Amino acid sequence: MEVGTRKLLDRSFTSVGFFAIILMGMALLILLQPIIVRGLKAFIFRGTVEYREMSLEQFGRGNAEALARDLDEALEARKPVYDILDSFEEEMKESGPEFRRQYRSDFSELKGLITELLGPREGAKEKALIRKKYGQTRYDRALIKLHQVLFVEGYDYSDTSGMGKSIETPRAELFAGTTIERLFGVLESDIEKMLKPKMTLYWRFLFDESKDAHFFGGIWPEMLGTLYLSIGSMIFAIPLGIITAIYLAEYAGHGKFVSLLRTCISSLAGVPSIVFGLFGLAFFINTMHVSSSKSVLAGSMTLALLVLPTIIRASEEAILAVPRGYREASMSLGAGKWFTIARVILPAALPGILTSTIISLGRAAGETAPIIFTAAVSVGKPLGLFETLSQPTPALPWNIYNLATEHEAVDEIRHVQYGMVFTLVAMVLLLNLTAILLRARITKKLRG
Amino acid sequence: MAEAKTDKDDKVIGSRLMMGARERRFRSIGSRIGHSTLILIASSSLIALLFIFYFIIKDAFPFFRLEGFREFLGSSRWYPSREEAEFGALAIFIGSGLVTLGAILFSVPVGVLASLCLSDILPFSLRQVVKPVIEMLAAIPSVVYGFFALVVFAPMLQEKGGSLLSAAALVVLIPLAAILVIVTSDLLSGMFTRNVRKISRVAAGLAGSAVSFYFISRIYVFLNGLEIASGTNALNASVILGIMALPTIVSVSEDALNAVGRDLREGSYALGATRAETLVKVVVPAAKSGITAAVILGVMRAIGETMVVWMASGNAARIPKPWFNLLEPVRTLTATIAGDMGEADHVTGSARYHVLFAMALGLLLFAFISNFVSEMIVRKSRRSGS
Repeated sequence: MEVGTRKLLDRSFTSVGFFAIILMGMALLILLQPIIVRGLKAFIFRGTVEYREMSLEQFGRGNAEALARDLDEALEARKPVYDILDSFEEEMKESGPEFRRQYRSDFSELKGLITELLGPREGAKEKALIRKKYGQTRYDRALIKLHQVLFVEGYDYSDTSGMGKSIETPRAELFAGTTIERLFGVLESDIEKMLKPKMTLYWRFLFDESKDAHFFGGIWPEMLGTLYLSIGSMIFAIPLGIITAIYLAEYAGHGKFVSLLRTCISSLAGVPSIVFGLFGLAFFINTMHVSSSKSVLAGSMTLALLVLPTIIRASEEAILAVPRGYREASMSLGAGKWFTIARVILPAALPGILTSTIISLGRAAGETAPIIFTAAVSVGKPLGLFETLSQPTPALPWNIYNLATEHEAVDEIRHVQYGMVFTLVAMVLLLNLTAILLRARITKKLRG
Repeated sequence: MAEAKTDKDDKVIGSRLMMGARERRFRSIGSRIGHSTLILIASSSLIALLFIFYFIIKDAFPFFRLEGFREFLGSSRWYPSREEAEFGALAIFIGSGLVTLGAILFSVPVGVLASLCLSDILPFSLRQVVKPVIEMLAAIPSVVYGFFALVVFAPMLQEKGGSLLSAAALVVLIPLAAILVIVTSDLLSGMFTRNVRKISRVAAGLAGSAVSFYFISRIYVFLNGLEIASGTNALNASVILGIMALPTIVSVSEDALNAVGRDLREGSYALGATRAETLVKVVVPAAKSGITAAVILGVMRAIGETMVVWMASGNAARIPKPWFNLLEPVRTLTATIAGDMGEADHVTGSARYHVLFAMALGLLLFAFISNFVSEMIVRKSRRSGS
């Protein structure tokens, strides 16, 4: 091959390598971007007057006087809408049965949509479900709902070879020539006055209980459950892990038993997380009966097994990284082995052990599969400390799955799902960041 | 006065240093007890592994007694909730395999290239930037990947999957084809005498570009015309699993590459090899076993993953047609366990409950064996290396 070609190959190899790295970076960016942008919308959003009403009635927050003023203005703006609806109802009554048959179902659908948008009309019957008591509380959702009011979505199947294409026709066409046609223009131009959106900061999202299956409120029970589970798993995993690490680093030689032990540790690290879940169910709950059914305790124990190998390995590394001189100095001063380990080596290795613990904490907080059968439920109250011994809990990872796939109105609570994902990712990444910074400090210190 | 005091101190210290026989025996018993407790606690992971095996096998065994192996591994009719329940898990095993294969096809080339770049090409300061990116990719919980796959990636695939795939194909294929054409024309022109070499090279290059343009345009048109019926399919799960397996593959193979000594690299450079030649012909062969271990660990990560495949693979227990069609929904072992256990929970003791343990046993054995193999490979290479 010519030198030119070889140089070109070399350069293209380099650029392919760079491409692989950039691909990884882009994957991270593409993953995090929607989570951060849309996750923040759970905390900061344009809340409508309906939101402020809900907030006052359900959580007792907000300024009642200002709300009353806003509501009055909003009702004033909504009046034309209701007037048009009423006059159309009159029109239906007066005209013949043909007219009525033509418009009845379309009209009731429209009325339903407007109720969903603006909330039940004043003087209407009190609804049982909280979500039915209010109109759209978030302005971005309200605009989507408005779009549903203005346009009818249909599917065009004329091209039989492919999939149906979605087409939208203005709803006004359905009511062409009737009094109601005006309504759509009024709605489109005055929606802001009817809902009075205001920038809202809802930091209590983290600390509120959810109302009506996550339609309103926050994620406190899930947060608390995740905290219980991850800290609980650490309570079991840290002592076991550190003692094992001490044994491996300070006592074990290179015998058969130790090599078997090491194989077991790496095998345990390779066991799929869902198998841990099944094991937790079969052993902790069905055999040991640590609790009658799912509980935080059983879940923590299962998670502890999952993170144990990580803690062992990292702690062993941290202990081995303590310079030999420390040991020798301690021994030469007449200290025994135990004393040396407990008072000299462990304190020196502590930052390294802490790093591994922090990373494992993040891992335990984010694992879903092991807690499905052992600890997690979809709906629950925040638990007291002693209830964790016998009660299951909602937890962030499980509820993200549950709300994104099994909730009755998946699309309407996207902001809650994104908020949960954002919270979980922020928790885990913050923990990892702490670990990275801590490690950087240790390397600096060890280098001297 | 002062002298007397030192004398007394010496005595105290002496009595502390020199133990009596009784005390010594006491201490040795104590240390033996301490030592055995230590070993007992240290074997907790051994005990845990044994217990996991025991309890999974214990609950998997009744299934094989009730239904037998043949239907489980030979049929793909999965109807566990029917009156006449059928437990053919072949499609589920194939689904797991297909998703893993797709993930590996994506993540091994990218991962190995990235690790080469990290170990040999990037300057130190840039490496310090890339490392946290990898750590973050590894730290993000699997349910978050699953959520992304379901809520962001699946609609994207469904709406503009064709153009997405064709764009990806272009990005990969055009540079590849260009390099291929240049190299082949160079090699071909080497066969001619000096005076026609330049002309033959240009001719071969033009012919090669024409051929590759034809094929690339055919591929582009084919991919662009694809319509994806559902965004939750094997492709979606594969891509996301591939991204999740990347950190494992990159970090393990980077360790292997770093373990290859500087002397090998310097020898190769001294012979006049370029960096790419050194990496491909010297460093990668030397780190072969470590890279194999990295790939095995990546496979384990992909096959054992639950949440992503549960949310993004479509959960249809049938074999895609043809079997490598990534655009069809599949169902995997992990997703079946996670999804069915909730319903099977009430009927502990039924075949439906135990079949899930049988699947878990399959997963567990696979993980155990591949872990063992990768450890053997690494250990062997370490022994031959030193």
